[in-house]
Amino acid sequence: MIDPALPSLLPALAVSLSDAALGHFQATAAILFCLGLIGFVTRRNLIVMFLCTEMMFQGVAVSLIAFSVYHGNVTGQTFVIFVLTIAAAEAALALGLVVMLFRRRRTLDAEAWAQLHD
Amino acid sequence: MQSTILTNPLTIYLAVVIGAVGLWFMMPKGRQNRRIVGGVLAAAALGLGWFGTYEALDFANLGLSAIAFVYYYVFSAIAIVSAVMVITATKPVHSALWFVMVVLASAGLFLVLSAEFMAFAMIIIYAGAILVTYMFVIMLAASAGGPNDPGEDEIFDLRSRTPTAAVIAGFLMLAVLLTLSFDKGNQPNPLAAMPSDGEIIAEVIPNRSADVLRDRIETEIFRFDPSAEPVIHQADPERLSNVEKVGLDLFQSHPLGIELAGIVLLVALIGAVVIAKTRVEDHPEPRPSGAAHPSGHGEADTGAAA
Repeated sequence: MIDPALPSLLPALAVSLSDAALGHFQATAAILFCLGLIGFVTRRNLIVMFLCTEMMFQGVAVSLIAFSVYHGNVTGQTFVIFVLTIAAAEAALALGLVVMLFRRRRTLDAEAWAQLHD
Repeated sequence: MQSTILTNPLTIYLAVVIGAVGLWFMMPKGRQNRRIVGGVLAAAALGLGWFGTYEALDFANLGLSAIAFVYYYVFSAIAIVSAVMVITATKPVHSALWFVMVVLASAGLFLVLSAEFMAFAMIIIYAGAILVTYMFVIMLAASAGGPNDPGEDEIFDLRSRTPTAAVIAGFLMLAVLLTLSFDKGNQPNPLAAMPSDGEIIAEVIPNRSADVLRDRIETEIFRFDPSAEPVIHQADPERLSNVEKVGLDLFQSHPLGIELAGIVLLVALIGAVVIAKTRVEDHPEPRPSGAAHPSGHGEADTGAAA
């Protein structure tokens, strides 16, 4: 239970977005995430598939920052820094893997690796 | 706060269905592409969705200025259109360039939300570093022709894999997320509110005032040249800037997270070097028969693999 006297104790109750404005930003974030998801499933080019995962990261970042502003709590923005860190690490590893796979089959087609053997 | 929320989500569902049909038409599907039709449908869906959610907005009690919210529409439209182009472009270079637009537009959204630090960090790291890496790999792995040869699109870029099922699944999820976005029941959480900036300043960084800074600068930096007059930006004693807020939160509340992020980056660095130095055989494995591919580049660029 929230102490009813608590809001008066806190000097700045910083809810700085209205619900509807938060909903709009969340809608944009959701659209970015779902478009990235669809792209990841449908595209067959390995590089474009990883681009689509980066687009999902973008949607998550928009969502986190909108919630951060809504709650007046900076931790959401701090967390985007960690999201960026993971995205950078993922890009480095994934692109290294893509280059290695390309050397083996001379194609970026994900279907070329549909049958896992050897 | 008045809880203005949609009375009728049917408009959103209609917009989602139209958008799904539009995106399905825009998906690359070999010969018969109806991208114009799909683009018009998708744009109509976006407009219909925003028209349907417009009634929920209470411009007197928005939390942002109304002008800033106009920029929400501008940047969101750019981000969504660019995102659609990323997943429907048939050349990977075009996908990467459209993704830069997605990054810039979402940085604009961050500016609308007055998260300046993350906006510029996003531009610098994503558009500046990660996307450059992607472009390098696209160039490295460009298989058809040289830079002057526009070449033909790869067959696997022209045909998407299970577009119907993917669009249905993705837009079902989108419908759920949009319903939740405009659901009622988001009440302000007083526990989540932070102390005022003045309290943080007094408690954590009391020596932030211009006088202390001037003393330190004069004693530590300008002691060799007493005639120089330092120019000191007068910090607002009651408000922290966004960069200061993020920095304080990062280094006060998440020191372990910083260390872990450093470890993750180190592991990724070592892993990338190991992967890049892995020897692969000079003769690429024979293609599986199912993977159709335009011929004409097998032995010519094998040397690049060495």
